Amino acid sequence: MSAETAVTPPLARPAPNEDAAPWRRVPLVTVGGVLLLGVLVPILLERLEIGDYLVTLLILFFMQAVVAQSWNLIMGYGGIYSFAQVALFAVGGWTTGVLAHSLGWNPFLSVLFAPVLATAAALLIGLPTLRLRGTYVVLLTLAFHELARVFAINGPRFISGGGYGLVTVATFPLGDAVGAQRNTYLYYLALAVFGLATFVIWRVIHSPLGAAATALRDSETYAVSRGVNQFRVRLILFATSAFFTGLAGGYMTHYEGGISTSVFDLSRLIDLLAMIVIGGWGTFGGPILGAAIVIGLDQVLVGIGDYRALAEGLIVAVIAVFAPRGLWPIIRDAYDRYLGPEPPREAAGDPPAETDDRGGPTGTGVTEGGG
Amino acid sequence: MHNTQLVQAVWGGVLFGSVYGLMALGLTLAWGAVRLLNLAHGAIFIIGAYAAYWVVSSLHLTILVALPVGVLTAALFAALLHALFIRPVIGKPGFDNATLVATVGLSIAVSAAALLIFNPEYKVVPPVVPGASIVAGVQITNQGLLVIAASLALFAVVYLFLTYTRQGMAIRAVSQQREAASLMSIPVVRTYGVVITISGALAGVAGVLLSPFFFLNPSSGFNPMIQALIVTIFGGLGSVRGALVAGYVLGLFESFVEVYLGVAWALPGVFLLIIVMLIVRPNGLFGVGEVRRL
Repeated sequence: MSAETAVTPPLARPAPNEDAAPWRRVPLVTVGGVLLLGVLVPILLERLEIGDYLVTLLILFFMQAVVAQSWNLIMGYGGIYSFAQVALFAVGGWTTGVLAHSLGWNPFLSVLFAPVLATAAALLIGLPTLRLRGTYVVLLTLAFHELARVFAINGPRFISGGGYGLVTVATFPLGDAVGAQRNTYLYYLALAVFGLATFVIWRVIHSPLGAAATALRDSETYAVSRGVNQFRVRLILFATSAFFTGLAGGYMTHYEGGISTSVFDLSRLIDLLAMIVIGGWGTFGGPILGAAIVIGLDQVLVGIGDYRALAEGLIVAVIAVFAPRGLWPIIRDAYDRYLGPEPPREAAGDPPAETDDRGGPTGTGVTEGGG
Repeated sequence: MHNTQLVQAVWGGVLFGSVYGLMALGLTLAWGAVRLLNLAHGAIFIIGAYAAYWVVSSLHLTILVALPVGVLTAALFAALLHALFIRPVIGKPGFDNATLVATVGLSIAVSAAALLIFNPEYKVVPPVVPGASIVAGVQITNQGLLVIAASLALFAVVYLFLTYTRQGMAIRAVSQQREAASLMSIPVVRTYGVVITISGALAGVAGVLLSPFFFLNPSSGFNPMIQALIVTIFGGLGSVRGALVAGYVLGLFESFVEVYLGVAWALPGVFLLIIVMLIVRPNGLFGVGEVRRL
């Protein structure tokens, strides 16, 4: 895989090859520039006529991207076929919704419990399922999705709100700010959540844990025989993913002032799946790019209305089979060619390593291909 | 009083057990032979049902014509699914990912298409055999008896087909060792197609026969598919016998829970049962432990 596993002196953690370190590939200028842009965007946009609308779109984008990234972390990198993502989002949303609505907590306080409970729920599903093979994970997470949906509709009244979900949850209290001013504050909050999630997921992917996860995905037998604790790695990934999904769920509940049982609709699932698949499954930037594309197209193609789920489903199926790498690798190659720092020539006696970032959905192919 | 509950629980259990078995049979075939986890199975189910509904409601023909039309449509869709989305990735790395995502995408596309063509209202497909009799205060519909008989008959047919015909032997050979089968000049890719088409036809039969019980709307394929997945795993992935037995076990279990504890407990109960099962016997009732291959 990478230098992490290439050389293993007995009983010692292999020294990371600093030249191959992936953070070398993203110069500080780029990170700083993107961050600065993120901070400045609402100030610039609010001067436009439709700026308010664009800022709202960006907030939506941030949240969708967080969920898509979290899902990609376990599906794309971990090779865990979990369909519980929407249910975990809902767990986060309902947690903070119930706390704020029934107990009257301040949304800023209650939203902190959303990721905690989502993580707890993930551990609860993960403990029995993650020791099992992929197919079982599909089944049990789908069953969890269904169970959560039924509970959200038929559960006690303080949860179900009579079958439609929680419709009157307090929004974030932001003092006297209204209109564009309020929108800007909400934007910064969403940006913070997005930034945190992106940073943590990036670090997880480029850590020994991430390398272990990709190794497990690409060849389970080999990785396990090299001493990777499959269950633990998967559980940590699953919990990390659930944490940010729950946080996004909590944010959206207070942003929209409620959470409806329609989050469990399959169209929500296909939205997220489309983001991951179009952007690039198992790549770091794929889900972010995919979220931008799906949300952007959604605004342009608002007229197609009912045909949307149909189109998305077909696009997802076609890309999954015929272009499984998605769009991100194209962009990444361009970045490497024109903007990226020179790869360290000296360290590479071997050809420039194909990093785990662009493998695309090699999946469990190696294990399954044996026939 | 007690008697009524008992008869109701047993009747419901046997009926839904047959239903689950019928759905699970298609899934388990596809998994056993092709290693395809077909999440579009529920979509094929509603394609069969809607085709039958369309023949009855728009062409004003009897359900006896609609039944074969529904089954053929479902089989045709499955064959197309194979030709367009499964065939290109056979034997390639990433087969799992690609087929999983593609079938999810297709199943949602099918629901969306159904929503556009037939509106979201519940449709009623007429029963193939109307009428009912009352036993100990419980209504036993003739359609229910037909479903049970059809399910058992189809299990027998599939079993005989797999055991005694040349095509069946080819399917078993491919499922055991794809490379070796291919070296024995068994047309592997065509065998995949045959399996997926048969699996689709079975889902179509289930769709047409079951819609009188479930009603039909664009998302009504989801639940039967989840149940079928549970049954498949309970019985052992890839095991035909397992699907039959597990169908009845789960059907009876669910039915008893529903009658004695209430409908709300049915799904959590089944969920709990499957988790216990996976801990005690991770390969299901009749599943063979999967050999870890490099």
